[in-house]
Amino acid sequence: MALFAVFQTTFLLALLPLRTYKSEVLSEPLPLTPESLKVSVNSTRQRLHLQWTVHSLAYHQELKMVFQIQISRFKTSNVIWVENYRTTVKRNRVLHWSWESKLPLECAAHFIRMRSMVDDARIPKPGFWSNWSSWEEADAQNSLGHDPLFVFPKDKLVEEGSNVTICYVSRIHQDNISCYLEGVQIYGERLDRSVSAFELKNVSFIRKKGTNVFCKVDQGGALGGIVLFVSKVLEEPKDFSCETQDLKTLTCTWDPGSDTGLSKQPSQSYTLFESFSGKKTLCKHRNWCNWQVAQDSQETYNFTLVAENYLRKRSVSILFNLTQRVHPMTPYNLFPKNVRATNATMTWKVHSIGNNSTLLCRLELLAEGKVIQQHNVSIKVNGEYLLSELEPDTEYVARVRCAYTNHFWKWSELISQKFNTAEAAPSEAPDVWRNMKMVSGHPTVSLFWKPLSKVHANGKILFYNVIVENLDKPSRLEVLSIPAPARSTELTLDQCSYQIHVTAHNNVGPSPASVIVISGDPGNEEVESGRVNGTEDGFSVSWKPQSGDATGYVVEWCDGPQDLPCVLQWKNLGPNTTSTVISSGAFRPGVRYNFRIYEISAKRMAHLLEKKAGYLEELAPSDNPQVVMSNLTSHSFTLSWKDYSTESQPGFIQGYHVYLKPKAGEQCPPAFEKTVLPEDSVCCKHTIDNPEQKTFVVENLQPESIYEFFVTPYTSVGEGPLDAFTKITTPDEYSHILIRIILPMIFCVLIVMIICYLKRQWLKEKCYPDIPDPYKSSVLSLIKSKENPHLTIMNVNDCVPDAIEVINKPEGSKIQFLGTRKSLTETEFTKPACIYLLPTEKNYSGPGPCICFENFTYNQAASDFASCGHFPVTPQAPPHQLGPLTSPENLLKALEQNYMNSLGEIPAGEANLNYVSQLASPTSGDKDSLPTNPPEPALCSEYKMQMAIPLGLASAPPSENSSLSSATLLGQGEHYR
Amino acid sequence: MRAQRMRRTPLSVILGLLFLSMAATSKCLGKYHELLLQLQRQADLMQDTSTLLDPYIRIQGLDTPGLKEHCRECPGAFPSEDALRGLSRQGFLRTLNATLGLVLHRLTALYQDLPEAQQLVGLNIRGFRSNIHCMTLLLRSSSEAETPEPTQPGPGPTPPPTPPSDAFQHKLKSCRFLRGYHCFMHSVGQVLREWGESRSRSRSRRHSPRRAPGDTAPSGPCRGGARRMWPFRRDRRLMPRGHLPR
Repeated sequence: MALFAVFQTTFLLALLPLRTYKSEVLSEPLPLTPESLKVSVNSTRQRLHLQWTVHSLAYHQELKMVFQIQISRFKTSNVIWVENYRTTVKRNRVLHWSWESKLPLECAAHFIRMRSMVDDARIPKPGFWSNWSSWEEADAQNSLGHDPLFVFPKDKLVEEGSNVTICYVSRIHQDNISCYLEGVQIYGERLDRSVSAFELKNVSFIRKKGTNVFCKVDQGGALGGIVLFVSKVLEEPKDFSCETQDLKTLTCTWDPGSDTGLSKQPSQSYTLFESFSGKKTLCKHRNWCNWQVAQDSQETYNFTLVAENYLRKRSVSILFNLTQRVHPMTPYNLFPKNVRATNATMTWKVHSIGNNSTLLCRLELLAEGKVIQQHNVSIKVNGEYLLSELEPDTEYVARVRCAYTNHFWKWSELISQKFNTAEAAPSEAPDVWRNMKMVSGHPTVSLFWKPLSKVHANGKILFYNVIVENLDKPSRLEVLSIPAPARSTELTLDQCSYQIHVTAHNNVGPSPASVIVISGDPGNEEVESGRVNGTEDGFSVSWKPQSGDATGYVVEWCDGPQDLPCVLQWKNLGPNTTSTVISSGAFRPGVRYNFRIYEISAKRMAHLLEKKAGYLEELAPSDNPQVVMSNLTSHSFTLSWKDYSTESQPGFIQGYHVYLKPKAGEQCPPAFEKTVLPEDSVCCKHTIDNPEQKTFVVENLQPESIYEFFVTPYTSVGEGPLDAFTKITTPDEYSHILIRIILPMIFCVLIVMIICYLKRQWLKEKCYPDIPDPYKSSVLSLIKSKENPHLTIMNVNDCVPDAIEVINKPEGSKIQFLGTRKSLTETEFTKPACIYLLPTEKNYSGPGPCICFENFTYNQAASDFASCGHFPVTPQAPPHQLGPLTSPENLLKALEQNYMNSLGEIPAGEANLNYVSQLASPTSGDKDSLPTNPPEPALCSEYKMQMAIPLGLASAPPSENSSLSSATLLGQGEHYR
Repeated sequence: MRAQRMRRTPLSVILGLLFLSMAATSKCLGKYHELLLQLQRQADLMQDTSTLLDPYIRIQGLDTPGLKEHCRECPGAFPSEDALRGLSRQGFLRTLNATLGLVLHRLTALYQDLPEAQQLVGLNIRGFRSNIHCMTLLLRSSSEAETPEPTQPGPGPTPPPTPPSDAFQHKLKSCRFLRGYHCFMHSVGQVLREWGESRSRSRSRRHSPRRAPGDTAPSGPCRGGARRMWPFRRDRRLMPRGHLPR
């Protein structure tokens, strides 16, 4: 009982304080006001730090309380932040709270106060706020210096994409201050008399050295600025994976993404943490890290990779079994061994993994870059494999990679090795064909063969053996060795049949022989020619078998155009084949290709089966024939172009078009039709549909008309180019008759002229013989011999004419007479019957009767001579000069040189008998040379004077009459003074 | 400009390595004129702003209007050309050596900002100092009989330990420092050139305090601006004839 009393007393004593407390709370406000409030500024982080205590709590008492904090800026009434901070409070425990300011704290004074309230569930009734603490001021401006301008926040580190507020504090008038972000002016908000703020939104990374923001006074030159360090956002590592090559070391790799390093912040760091072992390591590299595998046979690993910088952390994890992440090292020492023509052994080594671990290796064989064989080999350390089914003399590449057999994770890196197989004898006979022709009466065979393909050559072909065997008579085999790379040879044979064997040889041996039989008589293998159509794929050639025992067929053609040297091509075909497509990259449109199909008999002889010609693509003719026009009549003409070759045209010539342009308004001749030319001119057209017809007679034409013609061939594609028309004119209908008469006449005249020319000497003698030279006359010698010194040739000056013959002739006749210089004798003889008397009166002017006088002192013989040799003779000229004077030039010269002297100056000793035959026309000659009063004979008169003057009279001065006579003589054109 | 800089870089590397190797082997050129010519060429090379200042401005983003002007200031942290000209030759070399020692120290602090250029310029400065050493030895051997010159005070005020400045101020200060360095080397080049000219004009004449007319030295990086005259002693000495190369 006593124990119960003690317990009750104790319980009541314990409840007493609580009751007391309760009564106090409920009755009056508890004195739990925050005390000792202190405010500090962290400029680096731009945070306000608050610390305070609550002293009113009972000892060891813990209470949950809420503190309401108010923050004002610039002045206490400008509350910018209110926050309730809940925490558990103990007696004398210092409480902390911080707040980050968007506006840099240096730019404005901040004021903070708080109040508190119990917020404990143990207190049943709702609490009430305590009184506010007094305002505490946080003014970072007090620590600024005396510079005129400050910009904040200094060296702030933010992530790309953040919003940043900057501000400046100036000690001078604000209107002159401008702020710039990387040289670009920015505009903000004025917060106070000396403070302005700028909000930079979504800032971007510019450089590692930070973004420069500065403000300056426009005129004062004061400058303030900050560097804003904008970091790239730290990325989560990508492709994080770990693997081992030897089960001893794990290598973890990842893609780090962007580097976030700045001057203000180092590049992000990477830490590798393994959760099962609890170990971690700081990675030295940005994208890989090594981890030593524990010796305690830990199989499972859980790695976490943490990337970290000042602003952010990123992590990525991976869980794996060690044996499932084995990536073997690259095999080594891969070599071929025992390389033969068709097989080779490959050997290689691998790095061992753990104890007795097996690796699966894959051996691949490549030819020309393609994998042709693939083999899997399980090995521990040494690998070996026999590669078979190889081609002789071929380059191969063998490559090996290995993987962990227990659990495939990754192939190792590849190791490769090249090797060449050995050579073997060629496996196939060369493809041989021949071309036969007769050279100097002997059959000559050109043998052609195609080089063996690499597959069949099995090595480098060194030479070809050609063995010629006479089938008709036993003889020694003829063997020709032709070094490669020759592809043909020529054999001259006789009329026998021959069997020719051709083999290709390389280092190892010969190929199978290719056999061909050639008959000595090539025969006239005339077969019909056909046509073959070309397509995009080539020429589709088909033929009809002749005999049933054909062992094959050969199609032969030339790759180039016909006018080029033929590059013989052929194609071997089986015995059951009757068609094939011949294709070649050398085929060109517009080129005619000729194909010959041969049948190979059982005796291996070739017989021409068919000929085909075709175009891969026909084209229109590129040129027109040279047309010759003949047989031109008034109604027709003939055109021919026989030199035009239809074989060498870019298409099969189907015929010709003859165009004819008649004269305007004329209808087309029959067989022509009207057509319109490309230049819109209308003409007549005739179509010749036979390509072999190369002449055409254009008929039914009009005489004396102009026609134009033009001939062009045409193919299935079109006709030839439109060239210039040739113009002809048809003759009239009678011209040919005229030609038949005039031409013979002209011919006859020509004959007569030729005869006259040939007989000119005879004619001269007959018509106008030479005048005999009196000085050379025998009469002179005769006279001298009679010693009569006075006898000489009569000089005309010494003569007094005693007779004048006046011949009245029409003036026109005289002019013509003078012009043609006909001889006086001729003229004289032509007017024998007309004799008139000369009137004596001077004023006689009209026509009158003419009187002819004759001086008979001159004999008839002299007169005869004068008729053909009529020219003046100079008194001084020696006799030998007479000959050259027959030409006009010499005559004039003689006149100029010798006749300048008067006749009176002739030395008496040299004077001789002169004979002058004279012609004078009163109307001709120079009047100045005439005497003052010359006699004026009738206009129609001419006179002839013939004189013989003794030598003694030569020195006498000329009388008036003689002067007259002389002047009359000079009237012919030559004047002597 | 960039191509020019690219051309200069290998040249400066070669020169730097050459001078460095000379210093390492402690072999000095015994010929005054050759040594003086080397110093002149090195000074010309080191005054080239494309080796240090221009890349710094570009990397720091100071090549924007408004900031350029503040970087062009020659801050006066280096002896002016007139002050250098007023020094005796021994004093000049001592001042030069001491100043370049400070520059080297300061450049080490700029390593993070200009790792490649800083290394290159560091090599150049070491080579230059090596040649200064050789020139000092040469002059000393020619003036042993003379009264030793009192030790000069340090080459100007050593930059006082400043409170840690923000990055912006650091950029500007470094930029001004580099500008001052190039200006200083320009002045050094001028004075060295006058050494050669005065020697060629008259062996007995002192080097002229003023630049010779028609001086064809490369234009310097400093454009105007008052430079502070340092209170160096103006005791000029005659170069002893017998010891100087002819």
